Amino acid sequence: MRRQLESIEIPGETEARARAWNVVSAAFADRQPVERPSRRLRLALAVAVVVAALAAVLSSPGQAVLDEIRETVGIERAQPALFSLPSPGQLLVTSDAGLWVVQENGSKRLLGPYREGSWSPFGRFVVAARENELAALEPDGDVRWTLSRPGVRFPRWTGTETDTKIAYVDRSGVRVIAGDGTSDRLLVPGGRGPIAWRPGPGFVLAYTNMKRVRAIDATTGTLIWQSSRPAGRVTNVEWSSNGTRVLVLSPHHLRVYGARGRLVDQESAAEGWPDVDAAFRPGTTEVAVARVHGSQSSAYILSGRRLTNVTGVVGEVEWAPDGRWLLVSWETADQWILARAGGRHFRAVANVSEQFRSRSFPRVQGWCCAP
Amino acid sequence: MHWPRAFRAAHLVTHDAAAAEDIAQESFLAAVRALDRFDRSRPFGPWLHRIVVNRAIDWTRARKLRGEVELVDVLPAPDAPERTDDTYAALGRLAPEHRAVIVLRYLLEFTPGEIADALDLPRGTVNSRLRRGLDALGDEL
Repeated sequence: MRRQLESIEIPGETEARARAWNVVSAAFADRQPVERPSRRLRLALAVAVVVAALAAVLSSPGQAVLDEIRETVGIERAQPALFSLPSPGQLLVTSDAGLWVVQENGSKRLLGPYREGSWSPFGRFVVAARENELAALEPDGDVRWTLSRPGVRFPRWTGTETDTKIAYVDRSGVRVIAGDGTSDRLLVPGGRGPIAWRPGPGFVLAYTNMKRVRAIDATTGTLIWQSSRPAGRVTNVEWSSNGTRVLVLSPHHLRVYGARGRLVDQESAAEGWPDVDAAFRPGTTEVAVARVHGSQSSAYILSGRRLTNVTGVVGEVEWAPDGRWLLVSWETADQWILARAGGRHFRAVANVSEQFRSRSFPRVQGWCCAP
Repeated sequence: MHWPRAFRAAHLVTHDAAAAEDIAQESFLAAVRALDRFDRSRPFGPWLHRIVVNRAIDWTRARKLRGEVELVDVLPAPDAPERTDDTYAALGRLAPEHRAVIVLRYLLEFTPGEIADALDLPRGTVNSRLRRGLDALGDEL
């Protein structure tokens, strides 16, 4: 039987091996190995942990510590309102009432009845969309310009201090317009969202068509690369802050592509356990993922480190601009969890829907640079 | 060194080249990510193969749940090379769970106890699946 199984011809094995080698070697190179303590140290640590755990359970102050931990993970200790953001910057949030800007001190301003929005590169402006309108706004709500287009979605702003462009999708495809509201043109007929600008110089835009994720030079219209794998139903496309990686999220696949569309990492979610959001940590190529698995959800770093695990459903994950905090939307509890990257500290904010005058759970659209 | 067996095992369980590539590749990636937790006193191959076969079983179950149909079942692809391999075809007619134990036992050389451990099954179930799988293959071949 073994000879029979080994003699079966498996076509494409060599090519598959070459592709896998590229992906796995890139992942290995990116890996950050955990320092393994010496055997004696491990033993000492294990003894210390057991002793500490026993002391914690048996002593009354220890019991208090355990209770505190339990309370911290639950919703009881959540702040009743967002009093401040843990990192510098401003949030952009959509709710049933419209698009909101949240300042670092927790103050909120409703910009208008827009359903989507994103920040300009330096956080000075916001581009917002409602069903048939694209609008450029100042964070205080002043409207700079508007443009009527059918079925506007995925407004995204990029550029330098002196030259900016906005990409968006309407019923005709992917379109680009200058930051001052002029020179609107169709870039990719039939192209679909989500879309994302590559950070850094040049105007490179990632978008999806029915089959692949593609990166295109928005100035010349030249196709730069397309993903090596079919895209499927893509729910999020995002570049790393250094512009070297793109993550492409669909409910059952998270794929990370490098330069020229080469697959460098991927993970498949099990059936019924969808990945609902993913985001690059600024300044790194680490990816935070929100996954729902049955009655539980978790947020974790793609390298395997779990950040938080909660009962119910989580929505999006959004990194602070300095990469120190991760905001996790916990829809079931109507809370935001603000988890400190690399640590066990987190804060929770309750009554999120009420604070944004919404019946449905508000969605975080972006956490931008400090002004 | 481990790729050919991992890819072959995934292919024989899923009978789908693209899925086998994805599964083998993801298993290697999962192994890379978990390297720090891997007990280095134990052999790497069985650990990796266990991941591969479990993922392949999950994939075949998910595919069944999704009710996926091969495009070639609907639109025969004239350029696709026709497989004349009897063992491959016969294996494809087994249930995925039976294919998995056959692959683990005879390709990857797991013992029935190791298969039971890898697939989280009672030892008796492994033995009966092996027997039924071999009987079915014998009838086919």
